[in-house]
Amino acid sequence: MKIVVAVKQVPDVSSVQTDDSGNIVREGIPSVLNPYCEYAVYMACRLKGDGPVTAVTMGPPQARGALLRCLELGADEAYLISDKAFAGSDAFATSKVLSAFVRTHIPGYDLILCGKQASDGDTAEVPAELACMLGVQQFCYVDEIVAGDDLRVLQNYRDEKRICVVPLRSVISVSKGECNRRLPSINDYLRAADVEIKTLDKAALGLDEQSAGVKGSKTRIISSRSSGVERSCVTIDGTNPSDAADVIIKEAGM
Amino acid sequence: MLRTRSLDTDSPYVADESKMSGHADALLIPDNEDDVIEAARESYRNGTPLTVSGMRTGMCGGCVPFGGKVLTTEKMNRVIGAGRDDRGFFIRLQPAVTVRELNDVMRRKAYSNLQDVTEGATAELKASGDYFYPVDPTELNSSIGGNISTNASGPRTLKYGPTRNWVRRIRVVLSDGTALDLARGDVKAVERTFRVHMGDGFHTVRLPSYDFNMDVKNSCGLMSRDGMDLVDLFIGSEGTLGIITEADVYVTEWHPLMSNILFFPCDEDAYGFVRGIRASSATPEFLEFLDSGSLNLIRGVRSKDPLFTSMPDLPSYAKSAVLLDLPMDDTLRPSYEAIKMAAEAHGGSLDRCWCGHELKDRERFFGMRHSIPQTVFEYVAGLKRTVPKIHKMATDMAVPLDRSDEMAGLYKSALDSYGLEHVIFGHIGNGHLHVEIILKDMGDLEKAHAAYRELAKKAISLGGSPSAEHGIGKIKKEYVALLYGQKGVDEIRELKRSLDPKMILAPGNMVDP
Ligand SMILES: Cc1cc2nc3c(=O)[nH]c(=O)nc-3n(C[C@H](O)[C@H](O)[C@H](O)COP(=O)(O)OP(=O)(O)OC[C@H]3O[C@@H](n4cnc5c(N)ncnc54)[C@H](O)[C@@H]3O)c2cc1C
Repeated sequence: MKIVVAVKQVPDVSSVQTDDSGNIVREGIPSVLNPYCEYAVYMACRLKGDGPVTAVTMGPPQARGALLRCLELGADEAYLISDKAFAGSDAFATSKVLSAFVRTHIPGYDLILCGKQASDGDTAEVPAELACMLGVQQFCYVDEIVAGDDLRVLQNYRDEKRICVVPLRSVISVSKGECNRRLPSINDYLRAADVEIKTLDKAALGLDEQSAGVKGSKTRIISSRSSGVERSCVTIDGTNPSDAADVIIKEAGM
Repeated sequence: MLRTRSLDTDSPYVADESKMSGHADALLIPDNEDDVIEAARESYRNGTPLTVSGMRTGMCGGCVPFGGKVLTTEKMNRVIGAGRDDRGFFIRLQPAVTVRELNDVMRRKAYSNLQDVTEGATAELKASGDYFYPVDPTELNSSIGGNISTNASGPRTLKYGPTRNWVRRIRVVLSDGTALDLARGDVKAVERTFRVHMGDGFHTVRLPSYDFNMDVKNSCGLMSRDGMDLVDLFIGSEGTLGIITEADVYVTEWHPLMSNILFFPCDEDAYGFVRGIRASSATPEFLEFLDSGSLNLIRGVRSKDPLFTSMPDLPSYAKSAVLLDLPMDDTLRPSYEAIKMAAEAHGGSLDRCWCGHELKDRERFFGMRHSIPQTVFEYVAGLKRTVPKIHKMATDMAVPLDRSDEMAGLYKSALDSYGLEHVIFGHIGNGHLHVEIILKDMGDLEKAHAAYRELAKKAISLGGSPSAEHGIGKIKKEYVALLYGQKGVDEIRELKRSLDPKMILAPGNMVDP
């Protein structure tokens, strides 16, 4: 199966700190492959059979690091789409660039996988918009993919789960992987380091100044603020489970 | 302002990570050096003991008071400034800054609030590449003051040496409240004697007659060498000679690293692999070992908590492991060639391993290594509820590299003969493995003491040190006598008396008062 995985490099949220006024301090924060994208790469590599897995990202030159990680995890080739004109792209413009990439470079693909959302923006819009622009079906929030006579996915909307049969050439966004980040072997790394990461600019995708970046984006951020959700914790003595259950029932107003 | 608090018997300020606990009449909390001077003067006047405590991560009860007052440096935790000299950049800091905090400042390049110790240094540092402090006592929450006082070292000592190599200057308050400002090179011993000016005039300080072993990692007793630097006398003195109130430590340029862990079918294979690596052209900056017991300890915790160590599941074929970091430069591929040969000769391979080059991965590898002492520590803390007198028993012995395998064999045979469950792990690259005993009861503790005594003698006879990095504190005093004889113990005591005539500073550390 020929699988394209669209991935993103994000700041490592586990080491993000805020300054005294609550703003995120970005300096010195390492970048990592978005964890959901990592799950997608992993699923793609398990599904691929003999078809290649192609990892692609739109990002600055340092996003090569994320692609190297995809290669270490088993992707066969990698494309970095990097162009100053693409800076400031929102989800819409990003999807436009990615769909142009698929059309021009991997037109004969069988499946596109994405992470369900990027941990820095959390919009979860790219997979759906990409499917829409390519005119194919989308299956978001997928926990499992099983390939047999047909291809089935388990979609998990939290309040509802469903199993769908997925036609080829669909876009799937992946929401679940292993609880601990996988690690490559030294041989995996050496193989990955030998693969040339191909770089593409707007001309290679047949795009112009207006199609992406700030100019091609539809989102305007008017203001942003943190929504301070107050959480509190009550420890319940569980020596007597039935008493403990009563406390929970009362708290929940059931 | 010097604040004073009363202390309960279960206060964290009367214990450290050895789980030894003591008692004190009061806790003193200085904000600055003047407060420390006031505290010292007061104790000197009354002849009351004064034990200094940093972040209390010590393993030998060094900061645990038995009477008198305990002084915590915890509020003296400011990174003060940056400077540059012929050797390179250094950071000036108060003693309670932790290793983690110091490195965080450099990682974030948060230099804007720092003073220029030499002209333009903070701007220069900001404009330069990434810098870091390379001494990493695995416990990153330990204070630099504590590190200096125990001459701490860690896995990266393999490349960078111990704390001693990174100290440029210290300020230290002596028992009578005299403050000394000592840069390396300022005061050298004339043969084995220093003259130090204190409140009541010059004191003659005679160094012990033994030659401090510098060929292996060593934190046993006070340093003593002909013509040595006075700064070096305070490094590793465990709070017995003075209280460090400020330090300049050198920092060095950071470079990208690849972390690796290779798995082997048994401990002997891992030792063989390490021998192979040493004889090869590979240049690891970190070479650490986990025995089969250590890997099983991790497996045990993970069966209840799958997120523990945040690593993937250990493969079932992994019966021992070697962790090593390699510079990610032109030497990486040749190093991997050498590693391949050494691994394949001992049942390992470049497939039976993990590697990672992102900071996140390096932290995970490091966390896995650190999880061993941490898990044993938590186990002992739990056991203490039912066996209050129990404390952690970890060896800290280093031997010359060519005797390392011999020592590893001795650990195993001695502990097996006492029937003590144990794990062996640690700095195999420096001939410095740690053994942690999984104590069950006070009977085990007694056996462990006997076994350790035997092992310490063996380490010394192999040309090693019975205490390589944790210091002596109150738990390992007998090792000082083992290494230097009664004469050495007496000489250390006399040296202390010359700087601390009333024997008030950290009494009971290193030698009996
Ligand atoms: C899980 C674990 C792993 C560890 N691994 C290592 C390791 O790999 N390498 C290693 O070297 N150590 C290791 N340690 C031991 C410990 O972290 C070090 O000994 C460390 O240097 C202690 O620093 P601290 O700030 O906690 O000092 P404390 O424990 O508070 O004090 C240690 C000694 O220093 C004295 N002291 C503290 N501050 C001052 C000061 N300002 N002036 C004068 N004297 C002072 C105290 O009186 C005491 O004698 C480990 C500890 C733990 C818990």
